[in-house]
Amino acid sequence: MATRIDPTLLYEIKEYGAVGIEKCFNCGNCTAICPLTSDEYPFPRNMIRRLQIGQRDKLVQHLDPWLCYYCGECSETCPKGAEPGETMMAMRRWLTAQYDWTGLSGKVYKGKGWIIAMLLVAAIVVIGLAALLAGPMVTSQVELNTFAPVHMIHIADLILAAALGIFLLSNLARMYFFVFGKEERQGIPLKIYLTGAWTLVFHTITQNRFSECEDSKRRWTNHLIIVAGYGTMFALIVVFLGWFQTDNIYPIYHPQRWLGYLAAGALIYGGVEAVLGRIRKEHEMHKHSHPSDWLFPILLVLLSASGLTIHFLRYAGLPMATYYAYVAHLVIMMMLYVTVGPMGKWAHLLFRPFAVYFQEVKAKAAQLQRETPAEAVASAAD
Amino acid sequence: MTENPEQENQTTPQSEEEIRIGVYTCYCGGNISDVVSCERVAKQMRDMPNVVISRTDMAMCSDGGQALIENDIKEKGVNRVVVGACAPSLHEKTFRGTVTRAGLNPYLYYHVGLREQDSWVHHSDHYAATEKAVRLMSTGLAKARLLQDLDSILLNAEKHALVIGGGIAGLRSALDIARRGLRVTLIEKSPFLGGRTAQLESVFPVNTAARDTLHPIIEAVMAHPNIDIFTQAEMISAAGYVGDYQVQIQQQSRGVSDDMAEATMEACKQEVPDEFNYGLTTRKVIYHAYPGCYPASPAVDWENYDGEPLVVKGQPTVLYNELKTFDLTVGAIVVATGFNPYEPRQGEYGYGEIPEVVTLPQLIRHLALFGDGKKLEWNGHPVRDVALVHCVGSREIDGIHEPHEDGQVNDYCSRVCCTANLHMAAELREHYPEVNVFNLYEDIRTYGRGHETYYHESLEKMVRFLRFHGDDRPEVVAAPKGDTHPVLVKVRDHLTWGEELEVPVDLVVLAVGFMPRDVGDLVEKLKISRGTDRFLAEVHPKLRPVETAVPGVILAGTAQGPMNIQETVAAASAAAAKVAALLASGEVELEPFVAKIDLEKCDGTGACVEVCEYEDAIALETFTVDGRQVQRAVVTPANCSGCGNCVSACPNRAVDVQGWTLAQYEAMVDAITLDIPELMEVEA
Ligand SMILES: Cc1cc2nc3c(=O)[nH]c(=O)nc-3n(C[C@H](O)[C@H](O)[C@H](O)COP(=O)(O)OP(=O)(O)OC[C@H]3O[C@@H](n4cnc5c(N)ncnc54)[C@H](O)[C@@H]3O)c2cc1C
Ligand code: SF4
Ligand code: SF4
Repeated sequence: MATRIDPTLLYEIKEYGAVGIEKCFNCGNCTAICPLTSDEYPFPRNMIRRLQIGQRDKLVQHLDPWLCYYCGECSETCPKGAEPGETMMAMRRWLTAQYDWTGLSGKVYKGKGWIIAMLLVAAIVVIGLAALLAGPMVTSQVELNTFAPVHMIHIADLILAAALGIFLLSNLARMYFFVFGKEERQGIPLKIYLTGAWTLVFHTITQNRFSECEDSKRRWTNHLIIVAGYGTMFALIVVFLGWFQTDNIYPIYHPQRWLGYLAAGALIYGGVEAVLGRIRKEHEMHKHSHPSDWLFPILLVLLSASGLTIHFLRYAGLPMATYYAYVAHLVIMMMLYVTVGPMGKWAHLLFRPFAVYFQEVKAKAAQLQRETPAEAVASAAD
Repeated sequence: MTENPEQENQTTPQSEEEIRIGVYTCYCGGNISDVVSCERVAKQMRDMPNVVISRTDMAMCSDGGQALIENDIKEKGVNRVVVGACAPSLHEKTFRGTVTRAGLNPYLYYHVGLREQDSWVHHSDHYAATEKAVRLMSTGLAKARLLQDLDSILLNAEKHALVIGGGIAGLRSALDIARRGLRVTLIEKSPFLGGRTAQLESVFPVNTAARDTLHPIIEAVMAHPNIDIFTQAEMISAAGYVGDYQVQIQQQSRGVSDDMAEATMEACKQEVPDEFNYGLTTRKVIYHAYPGCYPASPAVDWENYDGEPLVVKGQPTVLYNELKTFDLTVGAIVVATGFNPYEPRQGEYGYGEIPEVVTLPQLIRHLALFGDGKKLEWNGHPVRDVALVHCVGSREIDGIHEPHEDGQVNDYCSRVCCTANLHMAAELREHYPEVNVFNLYEDIRTYGRGHETYYHESLEKMVRFLRFHGDDRPEVVAAPKGDTHPVLVKVRDHLTWGEELEVPVDLVVLAVGFMPRDVGDLVEKLKISRGTDRFLAEVHPKLRPVETAVPGVILAGTAQGPMNIQETVAAASAAAAKVAALLASGEVELEPFVAKIDLEKCDGTGACVEVCEYEDAIALETFTVDGRQVQRAVVTPANCSGCGNCVSACPNRAVDVQGWTLAQYEAMVDAITLDIPELMEVEA
């Protein structure tokens, strides 16, 4: 069956940040130089070509964008300046938007207007809820837990975390269904899913494929610092909030303090480093920045900085400043959540390791198929 | 470059009759001497009969090399010269000049091709190559012994050229010739000047308006006092030879006088398809090609005029075509008859069957007439997606593509269509950014300066490229009812790993190639020839690229093959330069290698006349010999090509080609068949 060409996708992917893709004349140098490409996943030209002719159905099945870690060698090599690495980046955004059933993801990625609107909504919702639900502001001394009772905040956190889980899992399920066709799904025994699971854990933690990119130690470390900081902070806020948000004054060696400092420090360091990289534009990956690329690290830094600010204001005994800083902190968190959260860039945290996992499952299934005697296949077909 | 001192045969000039040959073996800067032992050859020649001196040199064609020959002629009484060197086409003329300067007749020179015929083709076997050189040089000597003074043929040349075709090639040629002080008669078959260039709009490279390029040159041609222009005119006969062609021109009448033009056009109601717009529109049979065309007065299309009277200012008027015929004597003829865009077959890529399939020339006219730069429409429907298909009617493969009427396929590349098509793609995207453009190609051949820009520009403007293989061309079909688009183009795309793709479009544009115009009658009248691609053929593709095999008949522009305007104009100027070089002195010099009758031996059998393929080259004339009326063959040297057909036919050996006589051939054959030991014996 002939595939029908859809010319609209090329214009669309440019909105997702694929600068220069139109210049590509399909020479294949990018694929030849890519250290991560393989026969089964021959990116980036494959992606570029299918985008040029608009094969949406095929593209949505692809894992390739998640297997690329943007070392940028393709963009350096491309004779046409078509920035294939940036196309892979845009494809990750595009895929995220395809997986996202709410449709918000695509809107935020494509339009600056939508980003601003979402940021405003986040601010209004948080400030409104604070005005409605916050406790009295004790001014004689700092009583954060009176202003924002920890059990209420904890419930809100849990609700957000649950929503996060639902969004992520449902999008992940859509990814799964896109990636594995119906017949393919039927042909894969459970055992394969289970034996592949180690890959999932390993890659979630280490982001190991990164290191296959040459010259990427620094980015990998930086990335790892962000992930570690984020993980710690996530645990402190969602699981241990009762212990973390307190009006007590602890000595400096208390884990509540140094764990918090470490996590916040890691996030600020990682975030600033990422922003500086985008300003310096030394690495290929930083040469072109989509609005969402700025938003993520900036909000991360702001979030950590505002968290630390609350902390120090509380220790300095400034009640009103502490309460306002707290509200600001929540606003930033909400902004992060709605723009680059489960529907946005943040979600790559999940899609990347799962892509490696799916890739492994596919490979094992294919191997199984090869090893299955022809008669068995034939009888199964009957 | 001679290291050994020359040993001279100690003979001094004795009588006028004595044959004294100078032999020179050239190293050709190593081209020959790397393979052939030139010194050995020279030594061998020294001992041959009649050889006065045998030398070698690094480059005989250099001033020093030529001086050697001149000195030997003057000082050693050499009266025949043989040089073994490169191909005669390169330096035979040079050395004829050398011997002439030293006072010898130029035809007492013989040139042996030791490079192309020997060292270049036998570089692995030095010994055999040297042997072969000795052999070739001996044949040269054999011929040289029989060389005789010859005089080149001088003909009076009419300082007047005929240019056939009023396209940009003919115009450029006419102007260039006229500016060199010669007279020019320019004849154009249609009523208007400009040819195909007038039908174009923005042209590559650098996107100038075609008519901005064309009109100034038309105006210059019309204003030039040395040029006479005849439109609606054709050459109906030609006779004669270079310098002296007698041609007959027939011109139709324009049909209406200028004062009656408006009223007559008004009165005319008969409409026919307008070929200027490739049938997209109709026009009256009294018409202008386009607003602002040259000449400005309207003309009657006699081929289509139905002969019915028109009511002009209340008067019934019948238009009459008064054919005017006149004779002209010209020294040379430039053929600049141009090309036709390929007309696809009924059904080829859906052409003629699906109304949304057009040719590139048609689209150019459509946009010129109806394109408003805002909305692209075809047949009243908005166009959202366009497919441009390359190589239509070009680069066809024998055995795979259907042959044309003459049983041939067009296997040549039309060269212009790639850039023209990309130019169109970029232009469509520029003016109609809402329209998606698909470019289906086999290869992108943007070979010229500034052509590749159109490819890159197209890419940047998001033209989608799809690549097919020549033996698996795209298919254009009408879309099933209810489809979003009227036409589907199916292509196996090799940029997408050979996957079958289907492109839904509103318009398919066929980048058609170049076809020669139907100039069969000219080919016959001028006795010029066509190449296997059916375009008019030059005599030598590299060294004489604008001359035909017929002296004085020169080609200009796309009559010879696909060319863009730049190449057309360059070829036209080259043609003009050739004409000027031929005619400027008022004399044409031809080589004396023509048939010569020995009237003593001729007994008028006429066998020669029968086999001769050239008109008026040889004929029987009546002579009175011993009071009897006899028939004898007579040669008209200007028309004789020196082919030698007559020589082979004559039972009496009464005819010879001068400079290539049978006696000379026999001597050469004798020499070349000698055994090498025999050759060497001479030395012993
Ligand atoms: C679709 C298309 C797009 C093109 N775009 C470009 C472009 O962008 N840039 C570019 O450089 N080139 C372009 N070209 C090429 C350009 O059209 C040609 O190079 C140029 O027109 C050739 O000129 P010519 O004088 O050789 O032939 P023509 O223009 O064909 O002129 C020949 C003339 O001779 C006359 N004639 C023919 N037979 C006789 C006869 N027997 N007696 C008397 N007169 C006769 C004809 O009536 C005609 O007027 C394009 C061509 C095509 C088909
Ligand atoms: S992106 Fe660049 S390197 Fe890759 S195929 Fe296209 S032009 Fe070639
Ligand atoms: S110029 Fe291009 S379109 Fe024309 S025949 Fe040659 S390859 Fe084909």
